[in-house]
Amino acid sequence: MHNQLFPLLNAYLDGELRGTRLRDMERHLDSCAICQRELDDLRRVSDLVRAAPQPAFTSADRFAANLTLLLPRRPQQSQPQRTTSPTWWLIPAGLIGLLFFIQTVFTLSNIVRAADATGLLSQVAPWLSEGQAQATWFTATSSLFGAQMNANQHSTLSALNQFTIFSADWLQGLIWQAGLVLLCIGWFVVWNFMGEASTRTQTNL
Amino acid sequence: MVFTETTHTETDLIQQAQAGDTWAFGELVRHHYSPVVNVAYRICGEMNLAEDMAQETFLRAWANLNSFRITGSLKNWLYRIAVNVTLDALRRKSEQPMDDEVVQMIQDPTPNPETLLVQKERAENLQETLSALPLATRNVLVLREFGELSYQEIASVLDIPIGTVMSRLNYARTRLRDLLKEHPSMQEAVHA
Repeated sequence: MHNQLFPLLNAYLDGELRGTRLRDMERHLDSCAICQRELDDLRRVSDLVRAAPQPAFTSADRFAANLTLLLPRRPQQSQPQRTTSPTWWLIPAGLIGLLFFIQTVFTLSNIVRAADATGLLSQVAPWLSEGQAQATWFTATSSLFGAQMNANQHSTLSALNQFTIFSADWLQGLIWQAGLVLLCIGWFVVWNFMGEASTRTQTNL
Repeated sequence: MVFTETTHTETDLIQQAQAGDTWAFGELVRHHYSPVVNVAYRICGEMNLAEDMAQETFLRAWANLNSFRITGSLKNWLYRIAVNVTLDALRRKSEQPMDDEVVQMIQDPTPNPETLLVQKERAENLQETLSALPLATRNVLVLREFGELSYQEIASVLDIPIGTVMSRLNYARTRLRDLLKEHPSMQEAVHA
């Protein structure tokens, strides 16, 4: 126990021991004259060093006054500087604009397609009607087995075709939106990184 | 922590100084100058050099103040700069022996010449003994005894493991005791 605790006398003196080690040390010091003597020695050395008088340095007021005269001017800033060029801000603005444009195109095209599918479009604006959109699988199935199918099978196949077309459009729109959102996030990450880099001035202090 | 205008906490002053306010930085300097110059002096052993090092410390702090995080300890940050600045200076002049500078005392307000002489001799001997310690262990001892930092803080300031702090401090105090015993004027103080 003595060999384990002897190197910890300084830590005990400095109040750095906690818990079991502290209790072990206190118990040990009660019974070990060598450690007690060593601790007294270390305490005297520590007290002696701490009590060492300071030379008469320049007063803090005078030092601070002289130092402030030497301070180079720094730009007034409380926040990290980041790129604020207008061109830089055009990127997210453009991305958001593109997102709205694509969303509008998809919405309008879905409305037109829905109107076309219900036959409404051929009555209101026949020049916009492009006939029923057909998935590849629907075209192939119709040409191969169309003759053998009854009316119910035809309408089921047609409904599935509409669902496929709608799902494909929806998925396409989603991919566009996700792509643009990712680009926006990428822009923000780059912008933030550039801001951090510009304030990383702490070099070998 | 007391500043001249009690409405200003250290955090306020740091934020103002970070925004370029030299008055606020001056207040921080006034508050931290004494411990910083003392740590520099105990490491380098020269009064004039210590004041130069304190000046360099605060100039560097001003230049890099925006990289200081408010949540950290300004005192520890300044100590880190002061230790590095002083070590750099000592390395630069390592070929030259240190000047035997006369240490000016500010202790007893009404000292008689004999007391003054004994104090002066003791202070010189103590500083001489401190300077005889290897730099790596001297830094740890100075930050502990004069900087009053915890082991964890010393480890952080010097960027060394806490186990190294403990072993260096053990060595420094034991060696210091042995060296002080060799000085006739210090024997009495060490043996008590």
